[in-house]
Amino acid sequence: MISNRLKMALAVFLFFSFSAAVSRAQTPAKMDADSAAIKQCVAAWEDAWNRHDAHATAMAYVEDGDFSSTTGVPSHGWKELEAHYNDIFTTFLKDAHRTDTVRSIRFLTPEIASVDIDWQMTGAKTRDGKDIPNRKGLLTWIVTKHNGQWMITIYHESAF
Amino acid sequence: MPSNRDADSAAIRQFVAAFADTWNSHDAHGVAMRYVEDGDFSSVKGESSHGRKELEDHYTTIFSTFLKNAHTTDTVRSIRFLAPDIASVDIDWLVTDPNAPGGVLRKGLLTWIVTKRNGQWMITIYHESTF
Repeated sequence: MISNRLKMALAVFLFFSFSAAVSRAQTPAKMDADSAAIKQCVAAWEDAWNRHDAHATAMAYVEDGDFSSTTGVPSHGWKELEAHYNDIFTTFLKDAHRTDTVRSIRFLTPEIASVDIDWQMTGAKTRDGKDIPNRKGLLTWIVTKHNGQWMITIYHESAF
Repeated sequence: MPSNRDADSAAIRQFVAAFADTWNSHDAHGVAMRYVEDGDFSSVKGESSHGRKELEDHYTTIFSTFLKNAHTTDTVRSIRFLAPDIASVDIDWLVTDPNAPGGVLRKGLLTWIVTKRNGQWMITIYHESTF
């Protein structure tokens, strides 16, 4: 006859084995869902940018989001971000169109991820009005999840 | 806690300085060991190296070829904590070489994600850009 103590030990063992199996099964699925949501966030931002909607482009950031340009010039927070996008959409990037392709996503925690995005741009000009037929480079974002929504916390970009 | 943040900011600055020292001694192994084991590096052209072996190979290549006389000066511009043990660090960098035109090989911005492991800050993700 199996002692009660052994039965209890077996129940505890089974419970923890089952929980471990469930959490192992959930983690990759959750990460897949979050990766898909992050890709959607990138696509939505790209759409807003291509409509030259400075407000919507800025609102993809968290309220105290950080942007840094290809020459390392920063903008901080919604007000500065919107002013920055207003400036570029009415001047040297007013005919520009971008294409963004997610290259990789690395989760730092379940709610913080680093995203590398290849970018290309047509129709851009330099600040002094010369055409740049094809710009390209890498966007490197830190995105964070707020109330189920992924947002840009830090935006860096490089051109090459 | 602000005092922890201050101590961590100081530790991160010290870490950046130690990285520059190791880089300036062209110690490929030492530089690679500043990364976490599965660290990610991406070059000014967006070419990536992943993990200590690839990182050490990458640094061995650059230190024995086009950066063999190079010296870096790295100045922390800003630190943003994403969690108590995860921070984003922006670093102005200037790479000089006496043989380069004007003495300057590269300048731009390094953008790192550093994480604290067993009390030690290390590079998890390294990006760089030139301008």
